[in-house]
Amino acid sequence: MADQRPATKNRKEHIVRKSKLASRREFLRKSIGAAAAFTIVPRHVLGGPNDTPPSETFGGALIGCGGRGQGTFGAMGLDAKLLASCDVKFLNRADNKTIYTDFRRVLERKDIDVVAIATPPHWHALISIAAMEAGKDVLCEKPMTRFIAEGRAVAEAERRYNRIFQVGTFGRFGERQKPESVLIHKIMKSGLLKKCEAVYLYHGGFKVKEWSGKVNSQPEPVPANLDWDMYVGPSPMKPYHPHRTGGTHRGYWDYEGGGLADMGQHYLDPFQWTYAKDDTSPVEIEAYAPPAHPEACGMWGWVELKYADGMTLVLDSDEWGQGYGRKEARGVSLNDLDEESRKKVEAMPDPEPLISFAEAVKTRKRPGGHAEAAHRCATLLHLANIAIRVGRKIRYDPVKEQITGDEEANRLVNQPMRAPWHL
Amino acid sequence: MSEPSQILVELVGKLPNPDEQGMLSNIDKQAVEDIIAEIHKGGRDSIIGLIDMLVEPGKGDDVKPRYALHCLAVYVCKLQDKNLQRAFARTLASQLGGDRPKAVQGYIIRQLQVAGGKEVAPALGKALCDEELCEYAAQAIAAISDGAAEQLRAALPKATGKCRLNIVQNLGVVRDTKAVSVLKQAAGDTDRNIRLAAIWALANIGDAGSVDVLIKAADTQDAYERIKTTQACLLLAEKLVAANYKSEAARIYTYLRNSRTDPSESYVRDAADSALAAANKRQ
Repeated sequence: MADQRPATKNRKEHIVRKSKLASRREFLRKSIGAAAAFTIVPRHVLGGPNDTPPSETFGGALIGCGGRGQGTFGAMGLDAKLLASCDVKFLNRADNKTIYTDFRRVLERKDIDVVAIATPPHWHALISIAAMEAGKDVLCEKPMTRFIAEGRAVAEAERRYNRIFQVGTFGRFGERQKPESVLIHKIMKSGLLKKCEAVYLYHGGFKVKEWSGKVNSQPEPVPANLDWDMYVGPSPMKPYHPHRTGGTHRGYWDYEGGGLADMGQHYLDPFQWTYAKDDTSPVEIEAYAPPAHPEACGMWGWVELKYADGMTLVLDSDEWGQGYGRKEARGVSLNDLDEESRKKVEAMPDPEPLISFAEAVKTRKRPGGHAEAAHRCATLLHLANIAIRVGRKIRYDPVKEQITGDEEANRLVNQPMRAPWHL
Repeated sequence: MSEPSQILVELVGKLPNPDEQGMLSNIDKQAVEDIIAEIHKGGRDSIIGLIDMLVEPGKGDDVKPRYALHCLAVYVCKLQDKNLQRAFARTLASQLGGDRPKAVQGYIIRQLQVAGGKEVAPALGKALCDEELCEYAAQAIAAISDGAAEQLRAALPKATGKCRLNIVQNLGVVRDTKAVSVLKQAAGDTDRNIRLAAIWALANIGDAGSVDVLIKAADTQDAYERIKTTQACLLLAEKLVAANYKSEAARIYTYLRNSRTDPSESYVRDAADSALAAANKRQ
């Protein structure tokens, strides 16, 4: 008998906080508001739609033009002129002047400053890295990566070339505005909490069934406009089937990681900032799921991820099997601290405001969703999916970024790529 | 190939059917786990029986045996019994190189990437020169890592085309110091992909004797090649600094600083400057 539960809307259980994620639209609105607040100089100096000074004119490229593409380009929040559009399905219309199929040709252009990446996730890391190697700043759609080592490589490229990288989810910007989240952030950041007993439960909204893969698809002819070899890129070559492209790619391990990977970075980015986990990862991960299919992402019930400080993060799909029942949700408050520690936390200054991508590009300061933070958040999704795929509890070293004591599970941390692609 | 036993056929038949959308949404964890454990008890015959049920994509329905074989690969890892795991992997490896369809052999190789170890490296090594299997074989052997370098190095002289490219790249992935001389030769190849793979491999290995090769390669006007060889230079320099070859690293940084003079490459100059300053501060 199958373990099934009806899909529910996502909900977070938390004693302290119960707020909605900041949507992209909300973020953009706030960004525009913030920009307006700085308008204390004439418009021709600051720049505007019809009056932009040369120093604030950016040449932009969009790589991956389907689905979220246009929205991702807009989310940069810059006055960027779209000079190049690149997509592997442009075979019949590429002119290598404004329309491309090969991102490498785009990155060669010296007039492009910023790149928006909205390809399927198996290309996110490689194109982000190549763009930063070419001196471009990058806004990359979520999820940041397909596996853990890719995220580390992106963070290294960001550091090595001192480029701006922002992942395309902005939930943390909303958390930074909430006093209750700022307080938790300060408590966690202070290091004064002797043992963290917090349990953060995230229920539903993972689109498990919606973003599952087909296990019985048969090969079909590759459409004339699609460069299938380039689409597959670094992933293992498989026969073409339309379900592997066009949004439903999310249901295949070769390109993403199901609804968990697709939605997870949205849901966990605010958590990670609030609980000050941008520089670390869980150490023990356990999943409740049926044996996974080798190619198609499928069902899972819940995943429990424990941090070294005692904090527990739980993802409950609400779509399959019995719900998580091990622990109750529990937040963090000043009451968890002794008197002296409370006073120290109360005296702490608030964290610095998070910087938007647009501001980061202009000021060369690090944006709120920088590569390290985005990588640690994506790591949560990848660890959860690894636990689902191997069907056993795994232990993770957040410093070495390796699964310990399980060589076979560790092979999913850094997956060899199809040449000529590599990290 | 022989007919799978009736017991195996019945067990496989009990695995879940895809739903109307082709997804495994109607799935019972315990039932699947019990079936897989039962199949495993059948030993080598059951494994080969499953493989016998596999077909090339588009040539029939093998959804259940395909799923079963993968579940078995994961299951043997879960047992934490290396002997059982090796026996499983050896059985899989024994089915490579024969007259099974290449797509089926490719699937076997992907299961070896899940559960195989050093014991299957020679079998994977033979597939490294097979045009249809070399990509899967290179990925599997690099993932297994143990025993990979010897196989990759041995296969290189016989390999051509994409097989050669995959081998060159993965010699860098496994950081095979014994491959440095052949990689230096490949760095001058007429094929851009081979050149770039070899240059990156030398950088990733961190070979101090490759500084001149990389600097020469980075002296190119081809825009994309210049970007990638610059990256290889910076990667090698970082590895040399970490290994305390500071003067060799300084040569690379100085070269980049002096050669990337166009305003569009100022970020490379800055990167080289700051890395050189950091290297000089290191004890």
